[in-house]
Amino acid sequence: MKENISPVLETGKALPKVKSKVIRNVAWVDRLAPYLFISPFILFFLALFIGPSIYSLVLSFFRYKGYGDATFVGIANYVSILQYHVFWTELVNTIFYWLVHVIPLMVGAFLLAVLVRSKFIKGQRFFKPVLFVPNIVATVAAALVFQSLFGTQYGVINKLLGTQIDWLHDPTITKFVVVLLLIWKGLGWWFIIFLVGLTSINPELEEAATVDGASVRQRLVYIVIPLMRNIFLFAFVIDAINSLRMFTEPNVLVGRSGQLADPEVAPLLNLLISNLRGASFGQASAVGWILFVLTLGITLIQFRILRSSDEER
Amino acid sequence: MASNATFVSKSGEGQARFSSKRLKKFFGYLVLWILSFLSLYPLAVMVLNSFKTDTEINGNPSGIPENFTLENYTQIFAVQGGLIGNFMNGIIIALITTVVSVFLAAMAAFAFSKYSFKGRNIIFAFLLSTMMVPHEITIPPLFLIFSKLGWVNTFQGMIVPGLVSVFGLFMLRQYMLGVPNEIFEAARIDGAGHWRLFWSIMVPIANPAIASLSILQFLGTWNSYLWPIIIAPDPSIQPIMAVLPTIRDQQGYAPLWATIMTGCVLATLPVILVFVIFQDKFISGVTVGAVK
Repeated sequence: MKENISPVLETGKALPKVKSKVIRNVAWVDRLAPYLFISPFILFFLALFIGPSIYSLVLSFFRYKGYGDATFVGIANYVSILQYHVFWTELVNTIFYWLVHVIPLMVGAFLLAVLVRSKFIKGQRFFKPVLFVPNIVATVAAALVFQSLFGTQYGVINKLLGTQIDWLHDPTITKFVVVLLLIWKGLGWWFIIFLVGLTSINPELEEAATVDGASVRQRLVYIVIPLMRNIFLFAFVIDAINSLRMFTEPNVLVGRSGQLADPEVAPLLNLLISNLRGASFGQASAVGWILFVLTLGITLIQFRILRSSDEER
Repeated sequence: MASNATFVSKSGEGQARFSSKRLKKFFGYLVLWILSFLSLYPLAVMVLNSFKTDTEINGNPSGIPENFTLENYTQIFAVQGGLIGNFMNGIIIALITTVVSVFLAAMAAFAFSKYSFKGRNIIFAFLLSTMMVPHEITIPPLFLIFSKLGWVNTFQGMIVPGLVSVFGLFMLRQYMLGVPNEIFEAARIDGAGHWRLFWSIMVPIANPAIASLSILQFLGTWNSYLWPIIIAPDPSIQPIMAVLPTIRDQQGYAPLWATIMTGCVLATLPVILVFVIFQDKFISGVTVGAVK
């Protein structure tokens, strides 16, 4: 062991020993310093997240109107939510929005990234920002523009098609408009992420495969996609979490004058907000925790699927 | 298709390879131009319609304005119902949230990346795991607590919940881990205190990551909609995002599209500005955490 210690390090360690009194003070400060650095963050985190989370979990077992006494009701809040048909409608809507937008979004963004990176396309500096721009436009602004584009009487889309389709009044059609908005807004984000992912792949791997006669599709399927598996996992998990918490897109697109959207097209989070506005704090909290369980479940399933496909390979 | 082309070219028929390459190039550009058009078209409609009157928008919802007007823009500054106040509310909320949250995250990230202390890994792992929890579960309790504190319809009510960013902590720590330890050891031997290590050494070095996080944090707060409409129902204190969907005519029924589109331009302007100025930082910020 002793031989391993370099002379430089030894002198370095010996140096402070000269002033032993200063050292003791410094050591005390040294031990405290990292805790002082993290404590503001941790305090805010406890006050704004952990505390409220525990409070919310407790509330979900009580009936509480915001004043007076809270009554313990056990799991009654959860039971009544699960028996409420609006919960199921909004849950199905949320899952619809997620599943219908995620596949075209991810496949589209990935192929787009492959296309922009391929050797025969010039102008990355133009296409990258242009394709990314919809992502940074505020969801509220984007949803309002879509609302005007898809207006029944004066909307651009109906004018172009020469039709009178009730885009935003027929729930079945409206849901697809919401999906269009999600894809329009999300494509640029995942395009950039996948582009960076593609760039991080060692080009020698692809070159070697090309020399060995692998086609573009073979290179994608056998080299690029397996190497990017972690990025795909990240993408699917983040997108699922964000989809479950979706609120602004459907509500601003369909809601009249800042009101919540009708339950036929509303996402699950609307149930939390409407309970909150009805001063049913226990029920609102219970919806939040159901949302949490769903998020956790979907994330675990995705990890399972993507991990196991890895093992098969 | 593609494999055939390569095969043919290998057997020496350069002509076939050339034309298939041209075809690929043509379709590649076609797809990119169509998607670029679709990306920009809604934004173009937004800008064009902000220069029209409401009556013109109904007849001409997407074309060039025939009676070009700046009235919508002067209307922003109107004393009654002007959007400039809401715009400023949004700026104030986003600026304060950004400065405080990035500062808190940077201090914590410095400790988590450059000090070893008891409980470091456990605390950090715990913080990371909470990123899985949808923050919406805190809405009912925060609403209750803030109501009791009298924070409904106040700036602090809208600002305070955004001050903690676990994502920001994670992002800055990732960057700071890459900063060599020797710099700090040398500074320690030269007698620099802990605060100087952070403020005069780490912050300048980690500046690119701090800038990226600030941009993301500013835009995230600027674009937020749900929490402001819950905690601040009074339109006079709301940020512009919360007000835009509620703009209606006197009867409170028909949306005033000219005003709404102008408001959307106003709401998008700071975002586009930030994007154009800081494009590289922006995109590097987006990809932190995804690609590692």
